Amino acid sequence: MAQIAVIAKENYPLYIRSTPMENELKFHYMVHTSLDVVDEKISAMGKALVDQRELYLGLLYPTEDYKVYGYVTNSKVKFVMVVDSSNTALRDNEIRSMFRKLHNSYTDVMCNPFYNPGDRIQSRAFDNMVTSMMIQVC
Amino acid sequence: MFLILLVPFFFFLFFLPYRPVSVLLGLKRHYKKRCQGRMRKHVGDLCLQAGMLQDSLVHYHMSVELLRSVNDFLWLGAALEGLCSASVIYHYPGGTGGKSRALRLQGSSLPAEAANRHRPGAQEVLIDPGALTTNGINPDTSAEIGRAKNCLSPEDIIDKYKEAISYYSKYKNAGVIELEACVKAVRVLAIQKRSMEASEFLQNAVYINLRQLSEEEKIQRYSILSELYQLIGFHRKSAFFKRVAAMQCVAPSIAEPGWRACYKLLLETLPGYSLSLDPKDFNKGTHRGWAAVQMRLLHELVYASRRMGNPALSVRHLSFLLQTMLDFLSDQEKKDVTQSLENYTSKCPGTMELLTLPDGLTLPPVPFTKLPIVKHVKLLSLPASLRPHKMKSLLGQNVSAKSPFIYSPIIAHNRGEEKNKKIDFQWVQGDVCEVQLMVYNPMPFELRVENMGLLTSGVEFEALPAALSLPAESGLYPVTLVGVPQTTGTITVNGYRTTVFGVFSDCLLDNLLGVKTSGSTVEVIPALPRLQISTSLPRSAHSLQPSSGDEISTNVSVQLYNGETQQLIITLENIGMEPLETLEVTSKILPTKEKLYGDFLNWKLEETLAQFPLQPGKVATLAISIKAKLDFSCQENLLQDLSDDGISVSGFPLSSPFRQVVRPRVENRPATAPEGSKVGDLSHLKTLEAVLNFKYSGGPGHVEGYYRNLSLGLHVEVEPSVFFTRVSTLPATSTRQCHLLLDVFNSTEHELTVSARRNEELILHAGECQRMAIQVDKFNFESIPESLGENGQFANPKQLEEERQEARGLEINSKLDIHWRIPSLKRSGEASVEGLLNQLVLEHLQLAPLQWDVLVDGQLCDCDAAAACPVGDPVRLEVRLTNRSPRCVGPFALTVVPFQDHQNGVRNYDLQDTVSFVGSSTFHLEAVQPSGQSACLGALLFLYTGDFFLHIRFQEGSRSKELPPSWFCLPSVHVRALGAQA
Repeated sequence: MAQIAVIAKENYPLYIRSTPMENELKFHYMVHTSLDVVDEKISAMGKALVDQRELYLGLLYPTEDYKVYGYVTNSKVKFVMVVDSSNTALRDNEIRSMFRKLHNSYTDVMCNPFYNPGDRIQSRAFDNMVTSMMIQVC
Repeated sequence: MFLILLVPFFFFLFFLPYRPVSVLLGLKRHYKKRCQGRMRKHVGDLCLQAGMLQDSLVHYHMSVELLRSVNDFLWLGAALEGLCSASVIYHYPGGTGGKSRALRLQGSSLPAEAANRHRPGAQEVLIDPGALTTNGINPDTSAEIGRAKNCLSPEDIIDKYKEAISYYSKYKNAGVIELEACVKAVRVLAIQKRSMEASEFLQNAVYINLRQLSEEEKIQRYSILSELYQLIGFHRKSAFFKRVAAMQCVAPSIAEPGWRACYKLLLETLPGYSLSLDPKDFNKGTHRGWAAVQMRLLHELVYASRRMGNPALSVRHLSFLLQTMLDFLSDQEKKDVTQSLENYTSKCPGTMELLTLPDGLTLPPVPFTKLPIVKHVKLLSLPASLRPHKMKSLLGQNVSAKSPFIYSPIIAHNRGEEKNKKIDFQWVQGDVCEVQLMVYNPMPFELRVENMGLLTSGVEFEALPAALSLPAESGLYPVTLVGVPQTTGTITVNGYRTTVFGVFSDCLLDNLLGVKTSGSTVEVIPALPRLQISTSLPRSAHSLQPSSGDEISTNVSVQLYNGETQQLIITLENIGMEPLETLEVTSKILPTKEKLYGDFLNWKLEETLAQFPLQPGKVATLAISIKAKLDFSCQENLLQDLSDDGISVSGFPLSSPFRQVVRPRVENRPATAPEGSKVGDLSHLKTLEAVLNFKYSGGPGHVEGYYRNLSLGLHVEVEPSVFFTRVSTLPATSTRQCHLLLDVFNSTEHELTVSARRNEELILHAGECQRMAIQVDKFNFESIPESLGENGQFANPKQLEEERQEARGLEINSKLDIHWRIPSLKRSGEASVEGLLNQLVLEHLQLAPLQWDVLVDGQLCDCDAAAACPVGDPVRLEVRLTNRSPRCVGPFALTVVPFQDHQNGVRNYDLQDTVSFVGSSTFHLEAVQPSGQSACLGALLFLYTGDFFLHIRFQEGSRSKELPPSWFCLPSVHVRALGAQA
């Protein structure tokens, strides 16, 4: 696991966490460019019925060292996960369940009446969840 | 259009076959097929070049068949690509490229290519190839069949491209053509709007290893990638590769880095990172963007523009970075950015001008609205002493002329709207006006703001810039910006100007987010003079109670002893630019518990006004006398202390109070005196406060009907001087006079002398109490004019009575004229008995309505002087009664009783042998009408010489009891019987 990002509907980051901190900008670029694919996938999905929509977007694109997975909620909040390509243990199903976990945690953040939708996520609970997820994967 | 693309690699293909040929010589059939396949492919290329689309399709198909069977993958790839190209031409006759495909592989910039591209006829040929294939296999129907059969469907095109690319990828040398196939496939997919698949092709293209590329080619490759991503709508990817291309322009391996090109390319990436260079776009709400990458890009722009040798540009970009990304910069980054900004601005200061790049892009100015952050803007009214007031015209100013109604909700509504914009105070032309900003510094270090001034419109305004230094991460910090309006009219404060880190900023309030402002428009009225007041008294830190309503500009304080009068010299100086034309002085005494006697403040304005108009810089003076005259009566506790000394003062019929020994009281109470005085000092200190208002005007403002009001607070501490602990009266020898006995207590710590009208000075030591007696004429209170008559009709009887008593007190006081003096301090003042005269004392002091006159031998006998009369002769005695009361009195019976006083307390009434009456010793007076007069006569015969007193006694009549005894106050007559003249 390299990075987990939560991106708002308007395509700006709400939360970004990457494990090797030294090369953070690289991941920023990676997630930023992946949004193109996410956008494309969303627009392609737009025609599908809402209830049949699959939130998990699958592999957005592979790079030499990383795989980028995407997930979009019904409110167009995107979750992007960058995973080390060498980690073959991660199957599609695992990624999918991780996204679901992330989504649940995000929902909890949104339920906080003191959280202003659109602000950066600073919830400690969310942070802990992401940390545990990263440890689990690595 | 993509014929152009094909041309270079025909050449390429010609050189390829020789190597495999030598390897495969043995396999003839295999070789033959390969040759046929390659030949077909070649023919197909030629047909395509010649515009024979159908033929080329057929040839390509055959070529593919032949080459697939012999595993000649490179040529197979080429044949498949040819097939795809021909199909694309068929499906998309308009071409797949955009208009600006300037960058192609460089080695093949042939003239033919250019010719092909620009010849419009070529396209027409391609649009309807069937009509032109005259030498084709079947010109008519078979052409249609062949087209349908040979031409690939749009989906197949992509599949075949994929296949071709996969074959190419088997050869390391074929990287260029593989890349090219990818590019072409992407273009086709772009037309088909299949972005996802296109992105996969591009993704693949990124990883194609092209060896030995020149720097220029690298740049071109990334540019093309960027362009293609743009084509399929992947703006972020496009921006990413454009940025990579830009970085490639200035790669360290390049001898002459192309900073200009780099900068240009970087600018083109801005939309991809949803970044605009206009700070206004960032004013709406919190920053919503990918801050990390945007910041990186801005940093690169700054660096590139600096290397380009355009410092103005880099200052602009850096200011933009600081302004818009402030929330995302770490403390260290903030420091670094400001450090470099200061370095740049030292060479080229940041301005508010629009920067225009050579290619037409304009960079709007970046005002630093966040350095410092302004939270609150408030226009301040002038200080109370300088605030202009509108003179009230004769007609009520309050009643709006718009409506006949005093109140109407509609009017109130309108007013509310007006108020939103305009503030209900005025500024004055030529006077320093203030605007208060609440600012704070978001930086982790001290922020130096220079040249902070106001931006205004509407009126010529001279802003006086201020420099401030805000501590790191300060809280809200008030800053006052000042300026002087030079003309009159309506001024609007639009914003403020700062210089921070060498960058000039004009911050408009409209663009500021979250700024609270209470209106920014103010009326400027014409100039008024300015009055400065200085007084002879020391200034006081003691400010008056806020309840006073007025705002006091200066406070002076003075300490006075009760009854003291002091002159306050007020110096009026016109420190403004306009002549001072009018001045009005009023005073307001603040309500106090203390009862104040007499005029507290007194002044004569005429002398001062004679010096008017007061030109600028000129001085006038005004003298105000302060008289602190409070109650001189004693406090209860003190009274109790003093009343136990056993001196009773209630009317002994002493013949003369002068004989009474004035007893010093000190010896009586030495122990209690210091204690009592101490307590007294604390509790007896009283304060009086008053406000002097100076209304003045002049110059153009006066013409407009404005004036200014300057208030001077006066704080007077009144220390007790003397107290009258007790007051009583003693009848004097004359019925017209009376002795007023006052116990005077010196409550000061100094020796004090008290003097009344005719008396000599009485010396009192500190804390001493002495009795003083003053002989006074009795008062005829009826003669006091009722000055309060006009008010009287509204007042209730009780008030009326109080007023009357006050008037009496005043009258008595003026007669008494008691003064005190403290020689050691050279201070003196009056003392007043007004407050302590009670009803009883007043009654004693009042001239009885019945005036009795006793005449001995025709001479009025009223005082101590003895009437002399010869022994042996009858002496005429006349008693006259004048009735001044409003009712009829009498009749009375009077008995004259002579006696002798032995001066030792013994009186001898047994005088039958020495004094005889001629006639009766009892007189009768008839009833006397109001203002009537009556007299009765008798005679006395003194038989011996000696001093005699005549006591006139009333007959105990039933009627006389109705009248107060003081009315029957008849003098004792002192008669000295002298022997016959010898």
